[in-house]
Amino acid sequence: MDKNSFYQGIRAALPIVFGYLPVGMAFGVLARKAGLTPSEAGGMSFLVYAGASQFIAVEMISKGALWFPIILTTFFVNLRHFLMSSTLSLQFNRHPLRTFALLAAQLTDESFAVAMSDVSRITNRPGYLFGLQMISHLAWIGGSVGGALFGELVGHERVGLPFALPALFICLLVLQIKNLLLFGVMILAGIFSIFVKWALPGHWYIPLAALLASGAGVFMKTLWRARR
Amino acid sequence: MREEMITLILGMAVVTFLPRFLPMALFTRWVIPEKVQLLLEDLPVAILSAIVFPIFLFGGDGAFDLQPRFLIAAIPIFIFAWKVRSIWGSVILGMVIYWGLGFIL
Repeated sequence: MDKNSFYQGIRAALPIVFGYLPVGMAFGVLARKAGLTPSEAGGMSFLVYAGASQFIAVEMISKGALWFPIILTTFFVNLRHFLMSSTLSLQFNRHPLRTFALLAAQLTDESFAVAMSDVSRITNRPGYLFGLQMISHLAWIGGSVGGALFGELVGHERVGLPFALPALFICLLVLQIKNLLLFGVMILAGIFSIFVKWALPGHWYIPLAALLASGAGVFMKTLWRARR
Repeated sequence: MREEMITLILGMAVVTFLPRFLPMALFTRWVIPEKVQLLLEDLPVAILSAIVFPIFLFGGDGAFDLQPRFLIAAIPIFIFAWKVRSIWGSVILGMVIYWGLGFIL
């Protein structure tokens, strides 16, 4: 990896750092609230490093979920990286597996978006992608640990913190609604999840309802295409 | 760290790492079956929706119980997120509205 690419990558990461520090802090605060220690919150941010799924995991932990449904949900939430990794793999050849392991471990929606904004800068330059992703990852870990340490000092009920996660999820959900079909999937998943949660104790409602609704989405798309 | 948390974090790390790593590692042009690709497109929306909507109808103990404070706070956030498309803005505004509703409800 050459140093020049690495430093260019670091510079490209700055907007991500400004985004990750506050959201990481919010994660640290909520992780504390769910009963995680600062080292556990930091450990999760270091080893898992996937924002949405970490927030979901913390939410599920606070509701008393067991490890298996949490890990299954994490798997489904982060499956989307499969497509991003496939896209990135087209930009590289002739690199050892450990390089790909390093790049893959730090792949996120945001770093992917920044990396793909100018493909010429990443083509066969793993150093650039590594610099970009490493600084982003450090910001995420730093924010999480800071939030977890600082979180104890904040009276969360007073500042409206119980609604921080619902608001985050609502916004992430709304940003994903790109067409009428996805709106339909949203409505179906909402109905399914309420029904499954009501009918079935435990925390299976998220993966079950999500698979049912997106399965229905695939069915609708196939029908639509067949008709045209 | 507690043992159960280490298990959880390692499990989450493995299932997160594999979909990030395998396509890069397999390295050749990976042709994803079309049905799977269609499913992947819808999964993020479906997962987020399955998380959001039960929040309004179930209490912290998991019992069916309308949550008016969450429901009322959610409506302006849906609109704000749609119009402004700001994650951090939605979180701050949501917290302020939820906090304000505490005085009324």
